[in-house]
Amino acid sequence: MSDFRKFTLSLMATFGVPWLLLIIIPVMKYQRIQPIPYNKEVDGVEGYYPPTGIHRQGQLVYAREGCVQCHSQMIRPAQLALDGWRKGWGQDQEARAAAPVRSNTMRDYLQEPYAFLGAQRIGPDLANAGWRFTDRLDVHTQLYAPRSKDEWSVMPSFKHLYIVRKQQGPVASNALKLTGKYAPKKGYEVIPTPEAEALADYVLSLKKDYPVPGVTAALAAAGEAAKK
Amino acid sequence: MDTSTANAELENQADATRRAAIDRSVKGPVLFLFLNGAFWLMASTILGVLAGIKAFAPEFLDVSFLTFGRLQPAHLTALVYGWGMQAGLGIMLWLMARRSGQELIGGKSLMIVAGVFWNIAVSLAIVGILAGKGTGFEWLEMPSYLWPVLLVCFLVYAWPMTRMFARAFRPEGFMVSTWYVLGACFWFPWIYITTNVCLHCLPGLGALGAGVNAWYVHGLILLFFTPVAVGAAYYFIPKITGQPIASQQLAQIGFWLLAILGGWTGMQRFMGGPLPAWMVAIGALTGVLLLIPVGVVGLNHHLTTLGKHHLVATSPTLRFVFFGAIFYPVSGAILALLSNFWSGLNLQFSHAWYGYQVTAVYGFFSMTAFGAIYYIVPRLAGCEWLSVRLIRNHFWFSVYGIGTIVVTSLLAGMQQNADINVPERWDQSWMSVVMNARPYLVARVIAWALITWSNVWFLIHLGLMVAGLGRRSAAPTLLPSHHDETDSALPHGANA
Repeated sequence: MSDFRKFTLSLMATFGVPWLLLIIIPVMKYQRIQPIPYNKEVDGVEGYYPPTGIHRQGQLVYAREGCVQCHSQMIRPAQLALDGWRKGWGQDQEARAAAPVRSNTMRDYLQEPYAFLGAQRIGPDLANAGWRFTDRLDVHTQLYAPRSKDEWSVMPSFKHLYIVRKQQGPVASNALKLTGKYAPKKGYEVIPTPEAEALADYVLSLKKDYPVPGVTAALAAAGEAAKK
Repeated sequence: MDTSTANAELENQADATRRAAIDRSVKGPVLFLFLNGAFWLMASTILGVLAGIKAFAPEFLDVSFLTFGRLQPAHLTALVYGWGMQAGLGIMLWLMARRSGQELIGGKSLMIVAGVFWNIAVSLAIVGILAGKGTGFEWLEMPSYLWPVLLVCFLVYAWPMTRMFARAFRPEGFMVSTWYVLGACFWFPWIYITTNVCLHCLPGLGALGAGVNAWYVHGLILLFFTPVAVGAAYYFIPKITGQPIASQQLAQIGFWLLAILGGWTGMQRFMGGPLPAWMVAIGALTGVLLLIPVGVVGLNHHLTTLGKHHLVATSPTLRFVFFGAIFYPVSGAILALLSNFWSGLNLQFSHAWYGYQVTAVYGFFSMTAFGAIYYIVPRLAGCEWLSVRLIRNHFWFSVYGIGTIVVTSLLAGMQQNADINVPERWDQSWMSVVMNARPYLVARVIAWALITWSNVWFLIHLGLMVAGLGRRSAAPTLLPSHHDETDSALPHGANA
């Protein structure tokens, strides 16, 4: 019996150490992280970091549709990977951005109950997807008929989040502007459901490149100094 | 002289009777788990084919519950919880009963009830994911109310196994198989409770939640699937070759290094991400250091089989277990590739990650489990496997299928890296990423189709065995071999 006890205790010790140090203590410490205020003089902005929450209802739709299977939400630092330089992965939508997008920190995800950092990159990263779309209808078009934007796209169509209904009077303001084979029959229009609206809100809220207090401004200053 | 032979004869008979009694005592639950597991395996491979097709042709079967984002988690949930854990529990129970020399005393009907609930939970999980009730947590996509059900069902099996282990623990007998089995009984609930409480019950962990999730996936592979498969290999390789485990020291080192390192891995999945650097670094470190226990166990298996490799040709059990034992180092090497900062950053978020999961769960764990099932089921069902051709069909289609998935996933990962991360192509559109991945995805679909074919027949074969419709014969079903008959005959113990 004592050997059994020794064996079990050894098992508990070997697994208990990583369990405690890697999971339990960080999880407990995480509960105490708070947003930090910006310093107007150093950072040039006011308010708190991170400034806004995400759209939780939309995130739930994102979760249940399995968007995370193809899209990451995590920019890796420029010294490790090219993420920050890729077209459209930050605020700058030019093919050749002037500066890399900053990498993400723990606090960027502070407002989210769970951060969908990603499983694979079958589609592009969405950490700063809010900047990528010109407007709300643009997001809806991407969700309803991805191939109407890029015919090579392998993104599935989320038709089930939309209603095709008979036009009632003038064209509804939220009706999708679709052309070609993706357009509904004449006299019909495609209207987003509340779930699609929530998902669009969520995608548009993804702008995880706001300045980091004390860091972003210092980096920018260093860059300016280097140019001179 | 005469009396000693007679005594030996008597002892052999007593041994055989005892073994038969042990086998009878676990028959119900073990066969139940195997048969249902085989069903889910077939379901999972079909979902794998569909998910693979949807990954490059999203307009195929264009309905809401069959989008890639739902099919892929449903496919892996069926593979992990439907097949993997059920087959694992069946093997664990039989191994523990045999190895501790004890009959399962009570709780058989409770085990069947737990098995029924487990299957109901897996069905609800898959229907839930496909119907759009998933959580989006990797390998825990099932609706959140299901986790306590699975946990309780698991404990119904784990508790009697722990008691068997405790009652039979004898210091003089080295029992590395049961160490691994007990480890799996013990680690899984711990990891499972921790992760589910963190993700479902705490107010929110942001990026740390994703880290805990990655820790869970690695924990399930390294501290549940790995110990069950390695434990089974440590039982069946000596059993079939008739040679003792080559080195007890190596076996102990392999076990304790896995126990020490396994719990640290996982967070390297998000290297370069928002998690604290030390968490990622320690995950990367242990992910690579795991090559040591992997190599030690591989060496030990190799030394145990040494000189008896021809048995791989004749014994279906040894053939599958041997292949699984080869895939332990392969999965370890892929983990090391994904974990270190040199190749890990390049293969991060690529198809190589899927390749690792499938290699570990199908190539390594499932192949070993098939070997175990080919050994265990005849002893429980009281009849022999019907067809050599079906066994061979199962083996070769699985081998070619899994081999294709491993190779194409790694190559696809490298191709994705070349399209996403290589500086020369930094301003290219996403089109090249999509187009260049396509051939690998087509290959993956073909591979899953091969595996589906092999497992449909496996399910039918197993179903006939469980129904008691197998061959009535005293001789086990062996694969024909070109070797000399006397040379390739199995040692006595292998038929026990």
